[in-house]
Amino acid sequence: MSHLALLWGRLHRIAEALIVLLLASMFASFLIQIVFRYFLNLPLGWTVEFVTIAWLWGILFGYAFVLRDDEVIRLDIVYLAVPTPAQRAMDFLSSAVVAGILVWSLPQIYNYISFMKIERTAFLKIRFDHLFAIYIPFVLAVVMRSLRTCWRALKGQGYGPTASSEAAENV
Amino acid sequence: MFDPFVWALVLIVGLSLFGYSIGIAMLVGSIVFLAGRGFDTSIASETLLQGLFNSYTLLSIPLFILAADIMNAGSLADRLLRFSQAVVGRFRGGLGHVNVFSSLIFSGMSGSAIADAVGMGRIIINMMTKNGQYSPAYAAAITAASATIGPIIPPSIPMVLYALVSDTSIGFLFAAGILPGLLMGVVLMVMNGLIAKRRGFPRDEVVPLKALPGVTFRAIPALLLPVILLGGIYGGIMTPTEAAAVAAAYALVISVVVYRSVSAGQFYTTLLNSARSTAAVGILIAGALAFNYVITRQDVPASLAMFIQQFDLSPVGFLIAINLLMLALGCVLEGGAILLIIVPIFIPTAQAMGIDLVHFGVVVVVNAMLGLITPPYGLLLFVVANITGQPVGRIIRELLPFLGALFIALGIITFVPDFVLFLPRLLGYRG
Repeated sequence: MSHLALLWGRLHRIAEALIVLLLASMFASFLIQIVFRYFLNLPLGWTVEFVTIAWLWGILFGYAFVLRDDEVIRLDIVYLAVPTPAQRAMDFLSSAVVAGILVWSLPQIYNYISFMKIERTAFLKIRFDHLFAIYIPFVLAVVMRSLRTCWRALKGQGYGPTASSEAAENV
Repeated sequence: MFDPFVWALVLIVGLSLFGYSIGIAMLVGSIVFLAGRGFDTSIASETLLQGLFNSYTLLSIPLFILAADIMNAGSLADRLLRFSQAVVGRFRGGLGHVNVFSSLIFSGMSGSAIADAVGMGRIIINMMTKNGQYSPAYAAAITAASATIGPIIPPSIPMVLYALVSDTSIGFLFAAGILPGLLMGVVLMVMNGLIAKRRGFPRDEVVPLKALPGVTFRAIPALLLPVILLGGIYGGIMTPTEAAAVAAAYALVISVVVYRSVSAGQFYTTLLNSARSTAAVGILIAGALAFNYVITRQDVPASLAMFIQQFDLSPVGFLIAINLLMLALGCVLEGGAILLIIVPIFIPTAQAMGIDLVHFGVVVVVNAMLGLITPPYGLLLFVVANITGQPVGRIIRELLPFLGALFIALGIITFVPDFVLFLPRLLGYRG
């Protein structure tokens, strides 16, 4: 394995560990909140805020850096029914459109997020531009992944293994 | 014709049909709508971020996912099955009954149909097919059919999604699901009994009544979970969101301490899997939040309500139409997407017709779950096909009688609101 692939694999495992940490801390905060409110009669405010932050970051970070292409919830009924060249054309077209629109919208997204520095959260006093900062890497990652799909489609490869809806399994 | 809303719709449908992530498709569609209207396109992102940050009820979703994953990692399912076997295995077609009965109990702990089929389903399918007693296709079919009960009996992730879009109380929605879920179990067991009689399916070995207390005792920690959950929510001790955390904690404690079946490594993997599922479902929710802004902006629900009023439908007629639409959509769309995108459009109409929104919620969730077992796009069909290695076509043939039975249950649930609302009213619901 090349150094790059090795590094990539390590980064991926760190990203995985991060979302595990987010979910575990969310879980723990909830338990702390219940114990404090019902057993010690001390309602906490920061736990509610913390879990919503963990939820927001967990989704955006997880989608951008941990989920594999085949874990994303998608509709594959038409996709799987058409021949491979048509699939590659669909991959290329849809990914190019998404990447284009997101890149074009990026300056306004950036403006909104930096504008949010004027507000802070109620309990933890976190600036909203910091809180929402994860959205920029998220958008960039979606763009990069779409461009990769375009590139792979040009080379005649699919976006990954068969499109199963494995990660959709909890709805 | 060149309305930005049309552009957005075409883009979302097009991207989805092309196999792109549905959540991102909705985000991109919303951006195009805003641009077409000359608005700041960052409004889509703002709605998405603020929506995720301010929706406290949604936080139950990752925790319900985690609870189900922990239970599936531990030996809880195993013990529940042994308990179910002791109770209903003695009848003809015994393991079929065990399948449905254990699904009923398990659905009181997990909020997801797929988690039910993956965890309990895998074990019971092996039990049913081990000695060639049941065909794998039959085992797969009854497993898929009984898994649909999972999100009807609380807790329920689809009902959390419905509560989000309809502004109804999760507590009352959960209560409203209990009787319909039990009804679905009963009709499935009746159908299994009828088929067992005709095909001469075996009884399972009869567990002597003397052994029953022991089996029950070993299953008690698992059986207690639904009691703690529902008691906690309706006793006013915790919110449904907190109940999700308690469910996960309880499942963890009994798996690790009482049953000693989950190692630290397994716990890490379980957390990772739950976090992955959360991200996958979360992006769908995020996209729907952005797109719901577009729908509201465009006043789609109001226009639709006006359009439907032209037909002079009675509430019953409207509900029939909704059932047909939901079943048709369920064939091609994923349940969560239907609940988040399609259902909100119809809520104002339902309200205007005097249909109770809690009742309506149960009807659409049952429909969405039946969508999971209606071909061609039935997630549950793929799951059981994957477990058994049977072609989907053969499973569908075995599934038809059960589907028929579930349609009868759906009819009762749709047309007898008093049946659905009986428990919520007992708990103080005014509707």
